[in-house]
Amino acid sequence: MDVKARDFIPAAQVALSDPALRAAVKRATDTAAKKRLATMFWAGRAHGEALRQQAAQARRRALRDLPALLEQAEAAMTANGIQVLWAADGDEVRRLVLDIAARHEVRRAVKSKSMISEEVALNHALQAHDIDVLETDLGEFIVQLSGETPSHIVTPVIHKSKETIRDLFVRELDMPPTDDAEAMTQFARGHLRRAFLEADMGISGGNFIIAETGALCLVTNEGNGRMVTSLPRVHVALVGIEKVIATVEDYATLTQILPRSSTGQTMTVYTQMIHGPRAADEDGPEHVYVILVDNGRSDIYPTDYAEALACIRCGACLNACPVYEATGGHAYGWVYSGPIGAVITPLLTGLENASPLPHASSLCGLCKEVCPVDIDLPRMLLDLRRDLDEAGHTPPVWKWGIRGWAMVARSPRLFGLAARAAGLGGRFLPPRPPLPPPLNGWTRTRDLPEFAPKSFRQLWAERQKAGKRDD
Amino acid sequence: MTSRETILSKLHAARQPFAGLPPAGDMIPVVPAEDTGPAALRARFIAAAEALSCTVTACPDADAAIRHILGLVGTDSTILSWDLKHVPLPGLGAALAGAGIAIAAAGDASVRAGLTGVDAALAATGSLLLASGPGKPRGASLLPEVHIAVVAAGQIVPDLETWLAAQRAAGLEHLRQLNSVVMISGPSRTADIAMETVMGVHGPGALQIVLVGES
Repeated sequence: MDVKARDFIPAAQVALSDPALRAAVKRATDTAAKKRLATMFWAGRAHGEALRQQAAQARRRALRDLPALLEQAEAAMTANGIQVLWAADGDEVRRLVLDIAARHEVRRAVKSKSMISEEVALNHALQAHDIDVLETDLGEFIVQLSGETPSHIVTPVIHKSKETIRDLFVRELDMPPTDDAEAMTQFARGHLRRAFLEADMGISGGNFIIAETGALCLVTNEGNGRMVTSLPRVHVALVGIEKVIATVEDYATLTQILPRSSTGQTMTVYTQMIHGPRAADEDGPEHVYVILVDNGRSDIYPTDYAEALACIRCGACLNACPVYEATGGHAYGWVYSGPIGAVITPLLTGLENASPLPHASSLCGLCKEVCPVDIDLPRMLLDLRRDLDEAGHTPPVWKWGIRGWAMVARSPRLFGLAARAAGLGGRFLPPRPPLPPPLNGWTRTRDLPEFAPKSFRQLWAERQKAGKRDD
Repeated sequence: MTSRETILSKLHAARQPFAGLPPAGDMIPVVPAEDTGPAALRARFIAAAEALSCTVTACPDADAAIRHILGLVGTDSTILSWDLKHVPLPGLGAALAGAGIAIAAAGDASVRAGLTGVDAALAATGSLLLASGPGKPRGASLLPEVHIAVVAAGQIVPDLETWLAAQRAAGLEHLRQLNSVVMISGPSRTADIAMETVMGVHGPGALQIVLVGES
């Protein structure tokens, strides 16, 4: 997928002027955040927090031992009959999948959700080689039909209204018009069921790989993950190298904390452990391939951003983020959005290609607080701002602004003057004064805050003079 | 160098992150353990499964369970099914034959109802755990509109942690031979269209749990 993260600011402005989009995203993220709280902390704050730390440690231990666990996982999967392949980058992923497709004479493929496949634009490569590929997660199917990209890693069409989806189905699939979400879903079920039964190859992602058992672990609510991994002759899973975990006990924690953080479910409807292709006397795919994908991850591993690799892609930080809530996911310009997107997009695609993203945060800290594996996203956003600055990617006007503020904040005299000026300005300026650029970037869409007639420092000085004591 | 070697050598050469972590200690279960006596487990399983929109029908004995299943199948002439030796209901085969209900070939997607047993049921989350294997086709719990799952009360365990601990005790080699293990927690569902929950997207839209026996 092309990286358009440099256009975050204009793209966000478009999103901000679309009230329907903002309402849809707000409703969806508020609902998910509320459900998360209810399932994460139903047994009390202390239990939920202990669980988070348990999950956080499981992921960090896995990253600590990553190369050894990858070798262990590869050996276990191979012993189970899974064919393990390694891909350094997007080119190699596409080549490997095309090779597999050619070897097994694949004409039609069905896919369950895989964010890595979005990273490497797999669908285009397959279609260019005359292989039909159909997304089967209902949201991803809608995204594919409309020629868009997902706007949320868990709920990809969070930005689309029911009416838009209705019109899309009527136009593209000849659906009899209906406004009933259930009827629309049933229509899609029929359409996709035929595709499942005809497909030669199923493509999936992977939520975890358990190193000690070689299990490929998947979660889906709709059942498309089971279809894709059960019905076609060939199953190919694309899994990031960071997804390996050590033990089945770690799996028990992580696969249960994932839906609690993500959609607020206690369990995802279909939680799968796949150990191998079918045996002679059972149903299932004849061939299972797991492609372990690097695509930039090993560059992050030795850095202070290694923590970002602990992410289990639950989407809780998106649902908590005031910036995501205001802009939706498309403004972020690549596969991943929200706070985790603002961190990994620059790391995976290059700082210079995503320079606005680390600034797309108020640093309120909620993303860290809701993260099921306690990733310190605000710390990394700040560090990325430093890296951007050192690499010369900070716009000059921001630098002057920050320098000016630093000068004022360091001097008690200047700070006092500034506070008094703000108080005076608040009294005499209109709520949206016609300030010159770049200051109008703030006042165009916001009222000036109302300042108290006297600053704290003035009040304090008067109080001291009057001989009062703080008791 | 192959990509495998490139990636692994890069990771091996890197400064190890999180080097100071403590070793894995005792872990707390995701759902705190309460009373794990048979009656309490049964009650928790029923409550959790019903909260997931499953229909749970408790039957005191096999005969009652078979009568209930025949009612669910109704006038259908075929069902998808596990080999009945994996369904803990003696007499079910004869009853189905007597009612003129045939078992369709695994993979027949035109059949309305699918019948399975389970390998375990998880009380904490109301989940059914099904492993694939000979006579236990995956399609029976996936392709039809209605999934009928027969659970013997003795198959209920507290949670996923307990089931995995039993697998470890028995040797993880056995677990690895189960090519597909799935935990099913309620009917297939989506909320992709305007956040409205809809059942039965790709998998069954109804999950009928037939719970047999008192404990």
